[in-house]
Amino acid sequence: MSHPGLLTACAAMLRRDLKLAWRRRGDIAMPVLYALIVTMLFPFALGPEDTLLQRIAGGVVLVTVLLAMLLALDAMFSSDIEDGSLEQLVLAPQPLALMLGMKILAHWLTTALPLIVIAPLLAAMLHLPGAVIPVLLLALLLATPLLSLLGSVLVALTAGTRRSGMLLALMLLPLCVPAVIFAAGAVARADRLARCRTGACRGAGAVGLRSCPSYCSGRLTTHHV
Amino acid sequence: MTAAHTAVPLLEARALSFLRQDEPVFAPLDFQLHAGELALVEGDNGSGKTTLLRILAGLLHVGEGELNWRGKPLQRDNCVGEILFLGHQLGLKADLSPRENLQIATGLSGCRDGTSVISVLGEIGLSGYEDEPVRRLSAGQKKRAALARLLLLPATLWLLDEPYANLDRTGIALVNQLLKTHTTAGGAALVTSHGAVSFHGGEPRHIRMHA
Repeated sequence: MSHPGLLTACAAMLRRDLKLAWRRRGDIAMPVLYALIVTMLFPFALGPEDTLLQRIAGGVVLVTVLLAMLLALDAMFSSDIEDGSLEQLVLAPQPLALMLGMKILAHWLTTALPLIVIAPLLAAMLHLPGAVIPVLLLALLLATPLLSLLGSVLVALTAGTRRSGMLLALMLLPLCVPAVIFAAGAVARADRLARCRTGACRGAGAVGLRSCPSYCSGRLTTHHV
Repeated sequence: MTAAHTAVPLLEARALSFLRQDEPVFAPLDFQLHAGELALVEGDNGSGKTTLLRILAGLLHVGEGELNWRGKPLQRDNCVGEILFLGHQLGLKADLSPRENLQIATGLSGCRDGTSVISVLGEIGLSGYEDEPVRRLSAGQKKRAALARLLLLPATLWLLDEPYANLDRTGIALVNQLLKTHTTAGGAALVTSHGAVSFHGGEPRHIRMHA
């Protein structure tokens, strides 16, 4: 008896997680609302001075998106550990790292993508010049997968501990510094220099893409199954 | 049966034990399981029945001793897709319906020839509940939804941890029937249970666990 191909399995996995996210679409809206509210607070706190807001807009949007992603991160593997789905996933014929990779992709699609979609709105709230917005979006498109991958490793590390959300934030935020520096730098210059910085970000992403899911699979099988 | 016994056993344990913080969880075990056989794992609470099943499924590493699958050391590569494990946690997503849960299972492990998700759900007694979220099913119905995997997925060895828990009388009869069909077709099964079990088709092999 032959097993379904990797592509079928990946599609099944991705469809499952997207369907689950859709059934709980209120949870998808939460980080988006959080990002909107946090961004709204800045003009209130700093006053409606255009030049000041413009100067900090890129960084504010980046950090807000990062914090909003943190809100949804600790749920990445927890429900699968609780209901035994992870055991079934470990026993499935496909490599676990690949299946977890699909979970990370689904997680990125359901948490980071909505945030990227509203990023232009967030930027507009802070009067970021329209010309800079494409660079901001590009920086987010490169930085958020990196955060998802780094986050997945830490979620695998902290899964099963009490109050893992807080611990996760404390561990992940320092690791995000390079991504934030590169992305913020790119937005601040918004010129040709951006290309080489985002290139570095992409390189780091490729490394993460290869190593993070395998690390997660190792960690989750040894400690939580 | 006699021919099967001379063949290489499907599963063979020699002085198998598992260590938790350097303490053995159960006394060393020796047993063989051939194709077409059924084994009942017996023992008190905390005697390590679940641990044993998890080791056999490959979810825990063997502590000491040997564990062979078709004559070779049990590893993920040589038994992939042949072992079906059903634990205390049912592995069902509460927000999805039984049908969707089984569709994922077939997407990963494939499905037996001549079966389909819908036919299997009918057989297991969940017709009318195919599209109800698992969250809203009763404990017994959830168990049935998980047991439907036995009918649907291709596997040689079934490892069933308390398959009778939460089931009504017809459900228990159904599980016994499933076990009979599986062993007659050349499969094997290891079952843990607290309750009195009456298998169809002969006396099962007994594996006693001692703490």
